[in-house]
Amino acid sequence: MSHLKTTWHHIRRSPFQSLIAAIAMFLSFFFITTFIIVNSGLSTVLKYFETKPEVTLFLKDGLDTSAVENIKKDLSSYQGIKEITFVSKDKALEIYKEQNKDNPRLTEMVTASILPASFEITVSDPNVLEQIYENYSTKTDVIDEIIYQKDIIDSLLNWTNATRKIGFVIILIIASISFITMVTIIGMKITNRKDEIKISRLLGASSFYVKKPFLLEGIIYGLFGSILGFILAFLLALVSQKSINSFFQPVVFIDFKVNFYLILLATEIFIGAFLGFIASCIGVKRYIKF
Amino acid sequence: MKIVFDQVDKKFGIVYALKDVSFEVEQGEFVFITGNSGAGKSTILKLILNQLKPTSGKILLGDVELSQGSKDDVNNTRRKIGVVFQDYQLIMDKTIEENIALILDIVNYPPEKIQSRIDKVIKEVNLGSRRFLFPSQLAGGELQRASLARALAIEPEIILADEPTGNLDSENSWNIVKLLKDINKENNTTVIMTTHNNEIVESMGKRVIKIDEGEIVKDYKHSKK
Repeated sequence: MSHLKTTWHHIRRSPFQSLIAAIAMFLSFFFITTFIIVNSGLSTVLKYFETKPEVTLFLKDGLDTSAVENIKKDLSSYQGIKEITFVSKDKALEIYKEQNKDNPRLTEMVTASILPASFEITVSDPNVLEQIYENYSTKTDVIDEIIYQKDIIDSLLNWTNATRKIGFVIILIIASISFITMVTIIGMKITNRKDEIKISRLLGASSFYVKKPFLLEGIIYGLFGSILGFILAFLLALVSQKSINSFFQPVVFIDFKVNFYLILLATEIFIGAFLGFIASCIGVKRYIKF
Repeated sequence: MKIVFDQVDKKFGIVYALKDVSFEVEQGEFVFITGNSGAGKSTILKLILNQLKPTSGKILLGDVELSQGSKDDVNNTRRKIGVVFQDYQLIMDKTIEENIALILDIVNYPPEKIQSRIDKVIKEVNLGSRRFLFPSQLAGGELQRASLARALAIEPEIILADEPTGNLDSENSWNIVKLLKDINKENNTTVIMTTHNNEIVESMGKRVIKIDEGEIVKDYKHSKK
C-alpha cells in the first residue's frame, strides 16, 4: 500500500475537512494571483506615466541659439534623464495643427511666432523631475512657463503604493488564516485517526511511516489550492481583459505574457506545496508526540 | 527469538500488576499464560510488545532490552511479532484485506507478494467471504479471526495471542488453537497465548505459566490428556 493511497484514503474519509483545507489554500492563491496581476498592471500604468515627457519647459521668445544650447547642455547634466526633445516654434505649430485638424478655425489665425519653443524632458528616475522644476522655476529670464504633472505622478505613486501595501496586508491575513486552518485541520485529522496511528505503531510502524500520509496530505492541499487559485484568477483576468484594458487605454493593463504567467504558476505551485508541507509539519509535530 | 523476563515489576500507581516475574521462553515454544481476570496476563503481553514499560527488572527479546532500546530497536522487534489483541485493534475504516495489507506494508513485505499472502492467510482463518467487509460489519468471532489473520500475515517469529478464543464458539476456538499449534510446529514460531479456557490448556499438553495477583504461582508443562 503506497503512502499516496493512504493519503487519498484519509482525504476521502473526512471529505468536509479536506474541502475546507483545500478551499483555504485555494482562496489564498486566488487572491495572491489576482493581486500580482493587478500589481503588474499598476506597475505598467506607473511606468507609462513615468516614461512620458514629464516636464515641459516653455522658453521665452527671442532666445538665441547659444542660449537654447546652454539650456539643453544644462538639462543633459542631470542624472536620470532619458531623453530631451527640443520643440521649435515651427514644430509646435505643426503639433498644434495636427491636434486641431478637425477645427480649422482654431488654426487659421495661429502662426509659429505666437507659439513658444519648448524642451520636453523624459526621465528614467522620477525624482529628477522635482530638481529640474525647482531649478528652472527661478530662471525667469529664459523660462516662460513650466508644465510639470507632479500631482498626477504623486497621486499615482501614492495610489500604487497604497494598493500594494493594502494588497500585501490582505494577502498576509488570508494566507495566515489558511495556514492556521491547515494546521488545525491536519490536527483534527490526526486526532480522528489516533487509533489507527496507535495500532500502526504497535504493529511496528516507524514514526515517519505514520506521519508521512499527513505530510503528503498538506502538500496535496497546497498543490491543489495553488493550481486552482491560479487558474481561476487567470480566467477572471482573461474574461475582464478587454474591458479593463479599454478603461486604461492606451496602457495595456492586463498583458498575457506567457513567460510571466508560467513562472508565476510554477512559483505558486512551489510555494503552495511548501506551505502545505510546513503546515502539516506543525500539525504533525503538535499532535503526534512520539 | 528468546524471551527473558528477569525480576520484572510493573506498577500502576501503587498497585502491582506484576511482581518479581521471571521466566524464559525459548524460540519455538508454545506457552499458555493462565489466571483470573486482572491477574496480569495481558500486562505480560503488553510488556513483551513494549506497549508498557516495566517499573523495574529486565525484559529481553533476543539480545535487545526493549525498554532501553532505540525507537528503531522497538519498531524492528515489533515487526517480528504477530499480535492477536483481546480487543482486536483493527482499523475500523479499512476492510479486513486492507488491515492485513497495512501490516505487510509496515514490515516492508515485497509489494508483488502482498496479495497472494493476504489470500493465503484469509483462507487459513476461513474469512474468504468477509475480506472486503469493514470490522464493524463482522461478528466477534470473525473479528478475532481477522486479527489472527493479520498476526499470521507477517510470518512472525513470535505470536502473542491475548484471549484469542474469548469470543469464539467451541468449534471456532478449537480451529484457532489448532491453527496456532500448526504454525508453532511447522514454522517454529513461538506462541504465547493467554486464556481462561482450561479445556484447551489441558488438552494441548504445553507449558503453562499460571499467574495470580501479578505473581507466577506455577510454571509447568501440562501432561496431554
